[in-house]
Amino acid sequence: MFDYGAIYPEIILILFAVAIPALHLLLKSSRALAGISLVGVAASAGMVVYYLLNGYPGMIGSENSPLIVFDALAAVFSLVFLSVAFVAILASARYVENDRHLAEYFTLILMATAGMMLVASAQDLLTIYIGIEIASMATYALVAFRKRDKRGSEAAVKYVIIGGLSSALSLYGISLLFGVTGTTSLVGINEALAAQGIDLATILSVGLLIAGFGFKIAIAPFHMWAPDVYEGAPTPVSAFLAAASKKMGLVVMFKVFIVGLIAIKADWDIVVGVVAILTMTIGNVIALSQTNIKRMLAYSSIAQAGYMLMALPLATVVGDFAITAGIFHIITHAFMKSGAFIVVAALAYVAIGESVADYKGLAKRAPFMAFSMAIFMFALAGIPPLSGFMSKVVLLSASVQAAEITQWMLWLGVALVLNSALSLYYYVRVIKYMYVEKGESTAKIKVPVSLTVAIAVCMVATIVLGLFFDPVLDLCSEAARTLFPAMA
Amino acid sequence: MFENIPILSLLILFPLLGAIAAFMLGRSPKAAKYVALVFSAIPLALVTLMLTEFSLSGGFQFVENYEWISFLGINFHLGIDGVSVTMVFLSTLLVFLAILFSWDVEERLNQYMGLMLLLEVGILGVFTALDYFVFYIFWEVVLIPMYFLIAIWGGMNRAYASIKFFIYTHVASLAMLLGIFALYFTTAPLLKADGLIPVDAIGTFDMQLIARVAGDGLGHMLQIAIFGALFFGFIVKMPVVPFHTWLPDAHVQAPTAGSVLLAGLLLKMGSYGIIRICLPTLPDAAVDFQLIMAVIGVVSIIYGAFACLAQSDLKKMVAYSSISHMGIVMLGIATLSQLGIAAAVFQMFAHGLITAVLFMVCGMFQHKAGTREIPLLGGLAPKVPILATVMMMGFMASLGLPGMVGFLAEFMVFTSTFDTWGVWVLVPIATVALTAAYYLWAMQRSIFGELTTKIDTKHMHDAYWFEILPLAVLLGLIVLFGVWPAFALDLITPSIPSVWPLNGVI
Repeated sequence: MFDYGAIYPEIILILFAVAIPALHLLLKSSRALAGISLVGVAASAGMVVYYLLNGYPGMIGSENSPLIVFDALAAVFSLVFLSVAFVAILASARYVENDRHLAEYFTLILMATAGMMLVASAQDLLTIYIGIEIASMATYALVAFRKRDKRGSEAAVKYVIIGGLSSALSLYGISLLFGVTGTTSLVGINEALAAQGIDLATILSVGLLIAGFGFKIAIAPFHMWAPDVYEGAPTPVSAFLAAASKKMGLVVMFKVFIVGLIAIKADWDIVVGVVAILTMTIGNVIALSQTNIKRMLAYSSIAQAGYMLMALPLATVVGDFAITAGIFHIITHAFMKSGAFIVVAALAYVAIGESVADYKGLAKRAPFMAFSMAIFMFALAGIPPLSGFMSKVVLLSASVQAAEITQWMLWLGVALVLNSALSLYYYVRVIKYMYVEKGESTAKIKVPVSLTVAIAVCMVATIVLGLFFDPVLDLCSEAARTLFPAMA
Repeated sequence: MFENIPILSLLILFPLLGAIAAFMLGRSPKAAKYVALVFSAIPLALVTLMLTEFSLSGGFQFVENYEWISFLGINFHLGIDGVSVTMVFLSTLLVFLAILFSWDVEERLNQYMGLMLLLEVGILGVFTALDYFVFYIFWEVVLIPMYFLIAIWGGMNRAYASIKFFIYTHVASLAMLLGIFALYFTTAPLLKADGLIPVDAIGTFDMQLIARVAGDGLGHMLQIAIFGALFFGFIVKMPVVPFHTWLPDAHVQAPTAGSVLLAGLLLKMGSYGIIRICLPTLPDAAVDFQLIMAVIGVVSIIYGAFACLAQSDLKKMVAYSSISHMGIVMLGIATLSQLGIAAAVFQMFAHGLITAVLFMVCGMFQHKAGTREIPLLGGLAPKVPILATVMMMGFMASLGLPGMVGFLAEFMVFTSTFDTWGVWVLVPIATVALTAAYYLWAMQRSIFGELTTKIDTKHMHDAYWFEILPLAVLLGLIVLFGVWPAFALDLITPSIPSVWPLNGVI
């Protein structure tokens, strides 16, 4: 079968991405270009929603070795990537307005989003790899966008080198797995492994895949690059990386480990469990001592990735419920984290520094910024009734449920609980600076409308997802079930 | 009268609306004050009306149950019985009086009032929730306004105290959350077997349904583990020794109204949780924990009293006396008898009224004398006669003078302790003498004797109307319930089962 319908959403984005540099010749205004990009994102999202409501298109590839299948999982993740792209573009409109290359900026964001969406619908290690590379190439350039900025250039170089290393590792893992099983199709790999069991080459390839994808997601011990890159990159790009690019790595992990390697789950569940606990603990402990807010948010992203990764070992016991929880946390995190980064971007735009201490007395100077930042911080810390609390609760419940069968999995839940408590300190510290401390200046701050709108979108999503998330959970559950064909 | 009105939801909704209105009144903070007063008076009026309709037969009344998140089996389930209605009445009363008492706050007035009302939302939610999830959400919602109240309007060391309070109680709540999930999953198969929830559901968070099957269906060790997790969450909030260290810091730094609500209501959430959740849901484990509860109760009583003796800060002394008095609540609960638990609830109510008076007195000293250090005060009675009278009455009520509400509650707890453990009751009773000692000694040094020369007393002003009014109401109630305790006990007792250990009745 070869149904192009499976990649219509990506095709729409790429058409817009190609058109924008050409349109730049006619339109000089960054607002117009940002507007066109937003139309592209909205059109692509419209396509996804159309599929959600009217049934999914056919696949690309054959029944035995599917290449691209646009299913519920792809739809959910596409919507996450597109929403993050939407707010990132909205937040960037003023950010790049004086740059000669502003058209390329929007093109790159659209390309990166298309690559991520491709990953979400890919069913074969090679299509996954291609998707990752499309997204990575675009994000390398985005990080390097301010090429005269020393910090930005340093971040970009680091990001390219680590990204290359990560690609090489995962490619090597893929080729080993192909050597062992004779196929690159996830379903085929699983069948082959179920039949022939596990040998040294398989173990090595699984290790390489964890390392390769681990660099992408920035899980410990492959996380060192993330704070430097998030700090150096333009802030809307940091938001895009933390809220979208990282999620691409996670969906790959979900697919590869649940669809491709579930047959040998007994050999990786505890490894991934330990990595998850390490990641959340290291992320939170280091975040405690950060004074630069972008670095703090970067470490908090590392910790949150640990929470999301919990879903993987839990899924070996409780199946789709754990993945539902993981996906739900991915969704809520996308909004609270991009919201937080965009607040930083908005304040940087009006020349407020990136140190936590620069936020002193912000509640008086920019009440809306301070309030929304407080909402994002409380949500990230997991305070009810905000979305971050709800998604952590679902994760925790998955862990308690898994512990009934496999006892050590309770430790994942305990680690989540202890880490949430630990993280409260550095999230609340930001709020303390904004609301409790008195600033030197009390002059009101005026933030551009486009940034305010982007923040408002994230804030509304953060609050609404905490109160009325039944339909979203149903959708997550439908998406998670696609990874478990026996249960679908 | 209330048949088709979701009265409990309204009870929670009004303060929420008031809070939003107050936050929006940034331009005219004075108006926020009146808005807050009105929106805290409405719940008080509603509860008073409800009390006239309240049936004394026990069981839950004014029940509301709406589906909220069907995926996880979460319902917005509210209802009150005699135990909760006592706490709900206390909450609406204290918030209203605390707002009145804060009439002279000037800094960020509208935010202050908004946070007070938000606090009321959380507290009323905790005392009316019949669904674990709803209960937990309201439980955590309480933390945020209290954190800001301490962090913004607190004393010198407020940053440290507020974050310590936040993290301490948040960690405890998370342990509680683990316990709630353990209950959720372990009771799910039992509930399905009995046909109480659909077969394809994951589980339910309904307190009553879970209590119906948990006692008989869960293994003994599992009950103990879950009880431990929930119990930990509750005793940190109460607090009892050794988890009390956040309390003196938070109290000393909090603004007066914050202290009133913290001691008067937030501490009660802990003991309420034990009575509402731990005991009826996990009766076997409750028996195992009986001795532990009694010991930490008695240790808190003694430790709190000795710590009071050592304090020179009036407010810190009152804070430690709260630990001692919550120890008495714990002891009452530990008897696992109808009398003991009814007494514990009555003591919670009594302590709520009395401690509010005490913290208001401390606040007035700070305000009028500029210090709360007992050694700096002295002989102030002629200067500020109203304040001195109120202080004396408050102290007398707190040390358990007969005729006032505290005496009866303590007496009932000790009677029931004697029923259960015999002469061991002499250990906590001996501390009552200690209590009398620290109160009398503090009073002697601060308002009697020679007029102090260490502080400027020339411009001291006695209590204002907005301070006298709440204090008069509180003292009136302290005497009223002291003379006529049946008023409250007739409400409370039918809601507490007479047969122990109980099974499945919540």
